[in-house]
Amino acid sequence: MSRIKLATIWLDGCSGCHMSLLDIDEAILAVAEKADIVYGPLVDAQAFPEGVDVTLVEGAVSSREDLNNVRMVRARSRIVVALGDCAVTGNVPAMRNSIPAAKLLHRIYVEGSQTNARVPNQGVPPLLPQARPVHDFIKVDYHLPGCPPKPALILGLLTELLNGRAATLPVVKFG
Amino acid sequence: MPEAGQKKVSIRIDGELVQLPASHTILQAAAMAGRFIPTLCHFDGLADAGACRLCVVEVSGVARLLPACTTPVQEGMSVVTDSPKLAAYRRMILELLLAERNHVCAVCVSNGHCELQNLAAQLGVASVRYPYRYPKLPVDLSHPRFVLDQNRCILCSRCVRVCASVEGAHVWNVMSRGIHSMVVADLNDPWGDASSCTGCGKCVNACPTGALSEKGQAVEEMMKNTAQLVTIAMRKAVRA
Amino acid sequence: MSRIEDLSTFNDVRERGVAKLLPGVPRIAVGMGTCGRGNGAEGVYHALAERISYYGMDVQLVGTGCFGPCSEEPLVNVFIPGQPLVILRRVQASDADRILSAITTGHVPAELAWCKVEDWDHVTAHFKYGHGYPELPDWRDIPFFAGQKKIVLRNCGVINPDDIEEYIGVGGYQALYKVLIDGRPESVIEQIKAAKLRGRGGAGYLTGLKWDFMAKARDVEKYVICNADEGDPGAYMNRNEIESDPHALLEGIIIGGYVMKSTKGIIYVRSEYPLAVHRLERAIEQARQYGLLGVKILDRPFDFDIELVEGAGAFVCGEETALIASLEGQAGRPRPRPPFPAEQGLFGRPTNINNVETWYNVPPIIIKGPAWFTETGSARSAGTKVFSLVGKVRNTGLVEMPLGTPLKTFVYGIGGGGAPGRSIKAVQTGGPSGGCIPQEMFDTPVDYETLAQLGSIMGSGGMVVMDEDNCMVDVARYFIEFTHSESCGKCVPCRVGLDVSLKILDDFTTGKGTAAQLDQIVELGRMIRDTSLCGLGQSAPNPVLTTMRHFRHEFEDHMIAKRCRAGVCGSLALSPCENSCPLHMNIPRFLALLKQNRLEDAFESVVMDNPLPASTGRVCQHPCDNRCRRQTIDEAVNMREVHRFIADAIYQSDRFDALAARVVARKLPATGYRMAVAGAGPTGLTAAFYLALLGHQVTVYDGKPEAGGMLRYALPEYRLPKAVLAKEIEMIARLGVQFVFNTRIGFDLSLNDLGSSHDVVFISIGTWKESWVHLPGTELKGVMPALPLLEAVSRGEAPPLGRKVLIIGGGNAAVDAARTARRHGAEAAIVYRRERKDMPAIAEEVHAAEQEGVKIVFLAAPHRILGDGEGNVKALEVVRTRLGEYDRSGRRKPVSTGEVIRMDCDAVVLAVGETVDADFCRASGFSLTEGGTLVVDRFTLETSRPNFYAGGDVISGASNVSNAMGYGKKAARIIDERLMGAGRLAQVLPGFDYVPRAPDQLSSARRHETAVLPAAERAQSVEEVAIGLSAACALEEARRCLHCDARG
Repeated sequence: MSRIKLATIWLDGCSGCHMSLLDIDEAILAVAEKADIVYGPLVDAQAFPEGVDVTLVEGAVSSREDLNNVRMVRARSRIVVALGDCAVTGNVPAMRNSIPAAKLLHRIYVEGSQTNARVPNQGVPPLLPQARPVHDFIKVDYHLPGCPPKPALILGLLTELLNGRAATLPVVKFG
Repeated sequence: MPEAGQKKVSIRIDGELVQLPASHTILQAAAMAGRFIPTLCHFDGLADAGACRLCVVEVSGVARLLPACTTPVQEGMSVVTDSPKLAAYRRMILELLLAERNHVCAVCVSNGHCELQNLAAQLGVASVRYPYRYPKLPVDLSHPRFVLDQNRCILCSRCVRVCASVEGAHVWNVMSRGIHSMVVADLNDPWGDASSCTGCGKCVNACPTGALSEKGQAVEEMMKNTAQLVTIAMRKAVRA
Repeated sequence: MSRIEDLSTFNDVRERGVAKLLPGVPRIAVGMGTCGRGNGAEGVYHALAERISYYGMDVQLVGTGCFGPCSEEPLVNVFIPGQPLVILRRVQASDADRILSAITTGHVPAELAWCKVEDWDHVTAHFKYGHGYPELPDWRDIPFFAGQKKIVLRNCGVINPDDIEEYIGVGGYQALYKVLIDGRPESVIEQIKAAKLRGRGGAGYLTGLKWDFMAKARDVEKYVICNADEGDPGAYMNRNEIESDPHALLEGIIIGGYVMKSTKGIIYVRSEYPLAVHRLERAIEQARQYGLLGVKILDRPFDFDIELVEGAGAFVCGEETALIASLEGQAGRPRPRPPFPAEQGLFGRPTNINNVETWYNVPPIIIKGPAWFTETGSARSAGTKVFSLVGKVRNTGLVEMPLGTPLKTFVYGIGGGGAPGRSIKAVQTGGPSGGCIPQEMFDTPVDYETLAQLGSIMGSGGMVVMDEDNCMVDVARYFIEFTHSESCGKCVPCRVGLDVSLKILDDFTTGKGTAAQLDQIVELGRMIRDTSLCGLGQSAPNPVLTTMRHFRHEFEDHMIAKRCRAGVCGSLALSPCENSCPLHMNIPRFLALLKQNRLEDAFESVVMDNPLPASTGRVCQHPCDNRCRRQTIDEAVNMREVHRFIADAIYQSDRFDALAARVVARKLPATGYRMAVAGAGPTGLTAAFYLALLGHQVTVYDGKPEAGGMLRYALPEYRLPKAVLAKEIEMIARLGVQFVFNTRIGFDLSLNDLGSSHDVVFISIGTWKESWVHLPGTELKGVMPALPLLEAVSRGEAPPLGRKVLIIGGGNAAVDAARTARRHGAEAAIVYRRERKDMPAIAEEVHAAEQEGVKIVFLAAPHRILGDGEGNVKALEVVRTRLGEYDRSGRRKPVSTGEVIRMDCDAVVLAVGETVDADFCRASGFSLTEGGTLVVDRFTLETSRPNFYAGGDVISGASNVSNAMGYGKKAARIIDERLMGAGRLAQVLPGFDYVPRAPDQLSSARRHETAVLPAAERAQSVEEVAIGLSAACALEEARRCLHCDARG
């Protein structure tokens, strides 16, 4: 059996879900036996490759760049997993959603700034009007909520997927 | 509460025979049979509002679904407490609640001790298919000891009922209607200015989510003393 | 003024009432309901009062309630002693003198008179007026009233609602008297039970059972409540009943109070009904004065009083437990049942709530007995129901019909059908809690069970008729918006579920809906219906669920094609005209460009939207006219003639080459794809034009020697000169389109051959097969189908028509054949089995034909063709028809009268419709419908074989030129998009320096019609009949456009 191509991507989130992934401790070795991690903050790849088997998406879709990324992820991945509350519900990044993006940026970068008070518009991707869960934009195959999701749950899901089985999620909890 | 010696009826809950007084509800019968029916607005000792609709069950011979909390048992009734349809409907109701306001569990004082969060986990809600509404809602910090966070309120009206029927203070009510409904103190006053409030805290303990909490509690720290409040409410109900 | 204490005082009052209703002097009654007032009834009343006093006339002037037909308001009825009661309609204040002077001469003003009433059944009494006015129809013969049975509305519009004596005069309070004298409440309940009276508020629960529960409940206080909180959009039955006859309601409630042993009645009425509130207050006051309310009613040991409570107008308070909460001073939110109000209702006491109309039925049942009541209506739904018939029908108003009457009687009979040129598509019953019933189901009897089976409800009786101008997605959205804003918010499914539903429907009306949402909204609807706490939530999804069931294709149109056919969803249409045009021409733009004196730009705009602008400018069915909003001011802008003018102006100038070059310059680089178009008719030509523009290599195949299809071979020269068509085809040829003529697809060349030599094949053959009627004698010489006749003439042949020709049919082909026959010196008559308004032919063409001496015999169906013994046609026998039942198309079916007429003739032309001859496609493996047309995907036009597309008549059956071209354009867009992976049509379409905005100066001119040759001249020549608009008229037409394309 050929090795599974596994990718992870970090959108608008705190990276805690990636930490939780690392928290599977030595089990990562078993994962590494079956899969190559082809893209993500944990590896050095520069571009998201084609033909990925499983992609774990952390974070809400918050900016234009996030949106382009999830669309690319969907186009290039067989299975997409929304990992953690931000990807599943919007969570903390979505707490800005009742405030118009322009007003929010002005409050922080203009009103809240002592020097160089201006809204950054270069080198940073423009914000979407709201930060929203991944499944608002693309089809998501598995939702694994939690803030962060428990390492054991991540491992359980990965083990099933890496063995080519359709995973049934155990009891999962938001938060 | 039903008096002893009252006429008993026999009904079936998921096939199991249960005998109980005629004034009891299907929900009570299910509890006797050890069957779990999810609820959010029900609170032992308080009159039922029939608001959350999670407890709907199938009763043979009745075309409609019936709420277990307000439907009295009848002789010969046969109740199904769970089915694919009921499970689907219950999940939809929970998803609607989660989409309605801003239930950010990760930063909620009731994280880990929330009835909504727990039920979602128990009924297998791993994501919400409906668009989140992300409403802009106030947090009332005016009370010296308590907090009302509208972002977490599910409008179960347990606070309204416990305040009215147990404490007798009638601080809470629901203003406006439809999706704009909102729990308010007195005549939409800041809670701290509500002259009718005795500060007893029953509403806080009756609240199933983090909408009502004690000040000074950080994330995950707010634990409600439900059991004690149920005891008080039941006693009061017996006397009434 | 006197308290009624016994039979003698009762009879005294009654006689006084009768004397008022049948006075010795003329009586004028002005309909003063809210509807009448809205149309100026108060002005009429005051004008009459002023003139009566000015002339010092001895005339009795009163105000009454409403007689029902809202579209005829204000209504006035006039009674002159000894004569019938005459109903005058659409009376204005300025008519006062006319009415009064007619009355002085002992007549009614003929021009205002609508119908007469010689006797009136008040149910509780029968009034005879007088005989006379033979020329005036009896009220029962007016279509609006035909079949109505007025039990609830027995007094409405006849008696003065502010005068209790008039009510007693027509037998009012007699039922109460009887009940109190009998003193046996249980027998009253038995009667109500036997009458099978069901609650008229919507749920249809048996009233007698409800009363029985309540009567048996024991408590120190019990309440009887009338629910007058009518709040459905489009419904105003209760308002009118109360405004017109308040005492009948009081009588019903008092009887209810007596039999259910209550002493306290409450009427919960909307505060938005000020007139109803006012009349009720007055009626209650009068009833107290006459001893019919208060202590010792009618001097019997029975105390009862009625309190009026004004509701704050929450729809949810129609739900009885919410109404009770509202009466208790709480927010109007329902509570779970049990306990039912009959056990624990208002303030915890036993309470009975019935709808206004239910109470109105009580006195008649007591007076006439339950057996009389059950004579009317259907087996399970006895009696009548009042409906407010509104929407897209000619006659609107309040109608009272026996339960079980089929829907089509309401729509086509009473309602008089839809507006001209519009087809009715559904009826919405039951308001926001009800559902839509599609036109195919108009045989449905209107009763509680049948409506419920269809997912709708009777509700309180709202009946909104919808036609093709109504978007069903918008209708669903509208009702959900209503229930969403009226939801009390107590239970989750209704509060949040409706919010999500509304959001999804918003997405559909703006073209953002998805297939997943389509399923989601049904799933959500079912959940809301099955789990909500009260009736509001349980019924709120009905409009969505029924429109999804019967009109799913409209949701799909919005979702996939981003199209709202009705033109209602604003963000999906540029303007109503553009939306109605099968080619989606940007009509406001070319009008604006012409207005700015940019003729060449206007031409480019026109031709890029429609490659045959001069031809369609002459023969298009112009659906745009029907939609033009200018009609709300005067008449539609003559858009078709303006684009004809623009095209003609260029074709006849020396700028044709330059503009053709402009079009060719827009062509995209060659793609290398080869396309075959089978059929050089309007569909094929249009597809070829756009495919060539998009850079594809196109070859058009046709069995005829020239291009144009029906335009070339079926349309007579006098309608479309061949030179005009040739010019337009030349433009298409300049784009590099190749033509292969005299090659019939399926015979000379198979579809498989085409498929193997091309990347894509587009099938666009026309309907060349003439339908044949099964009639004795069609084998005779001189019997011919219309199409071959027209085709022969187009080739310059003289047809063997003889001296007298009869044409059977009513479409454009029939009219063309008749006018062609006239031009060959024959007498021509069209035989059509229906009426003029039912003819499918373009009305202007029919008119022109008649001017040219073509006779049209309506209501005549061919019976047989007779020969002369030598095999030649000698005569046609036709059967006279009359119009019977309404059929599915909303037209009345012609039924034979048995009367046969013989019409001598030398030739008979059959023009009964054409069909497509697509049998050869079957051999190539294509799927065909039962009607013989090709099966295609509705949205992609792809056939059952990949890379084969089809459009035009071959998929739709015989249609018209613009529809055909619309398919061609759509096919080209989709074929290109599929091959190239992206929609590229927009790239070839020109942009103009044009910002849509409302015109600064709007022309006040009326519509300009095209000039025509005089009828005498044209009957003998093949010269074009319609000359077209002059430059000045075309410009003026452009200035008449309101520019619906302007935004914000």
